[in-house]
Amino acid sequence: MSLNDDLAAWAATVRLPDAGAAAIFRQIIASPAELAPASGPAAPPAAAAPKLKPSWWRGYNAGFAARMVTSTAPVRLAA
Amino acid sequence: MDREAEFGRLYEAHRAAVHSYFIGKTGDRQLAADLMQEVFLRAWQHLDKVAGLPDDGERGWLFTVARNLSVDTARHQRTADGTQRALESEPSARQDSAVPPASTAVLAAERAGVVAAAIATLPEQQRVTLAMAAAGDMNSAEIGAALGVPAGTVRYRLSLARRTLAEALGDYDDAQEEEQ
Repeated sequence: MSLNDDLAAWAATVRLPDAGAAAIFRQIIASPAELAPASGPAAPPAAAAPKLKPSWWRGYNAGFAARMVTSTAPVRLAA
Repeated sequence: MDREAEFGRLYEAHRAAVHSYFIGKTGDRQLAADLMQEVFLRAWQHLDKVAGLPDDGERGWLFTVARNLSVDTARHQRTADGTQRALESEPSARQDSAVPPASTAVLAAERAGVVAAAIATLPEQQRVTLAMAAAGDMNSAEIGAALGVPAGTVRYRLSLARRTLAEALGDYDDAQEEEQ
């Protein structure tokens, strides 16, 4: 028996059989394909809010300013 | 090509090489299979990155992961080897030295044991190279590319390994002839 024959006989005993390789393949593809990001699960998308017209915002801001002036008037009088 | 088919191509192209590398590193077929699975699991998780590489790049990526894994495994194995040596030193664990009846199958098994034992005593670099050549069916250039060494170095290691094995088997054959 030559050294090559001895090595071939040894290789046959350590080589992974096709059935074993196929089983490993199936196990791998059954696992999640992508890693989860390190920072944790992604935040859910923000809920879409209905847009308001610019004219509504102008009126709202004007009313807000008027209320601020009115509400601070008694403080100025007291001082 | 879909993801599973792409991974199947990668797996079939490189699994024997990676497994034979771990055979050389660990000398244990099951452990080698477990480590190979870990390498390809990582490839599956990073398939978009790995599968886009040229063939040499794919193998390079896989063997980088394999080398890192083998470093971790070697640490664990050193501890396990120490435990095994302690167990073997116990009288109850010693093997019976009685010679089994000689038959063709027994002699073949005995010879295979001599080959495996001789391979196990080789320096790691020679053992890994020999395993990749014999069990992985890889040539010197492929082994060199996987291990990051020149093909000439691979051929030199193979030559040293084969010489050591030939000496071990020569001693075994001489002993057999003396017995007859």
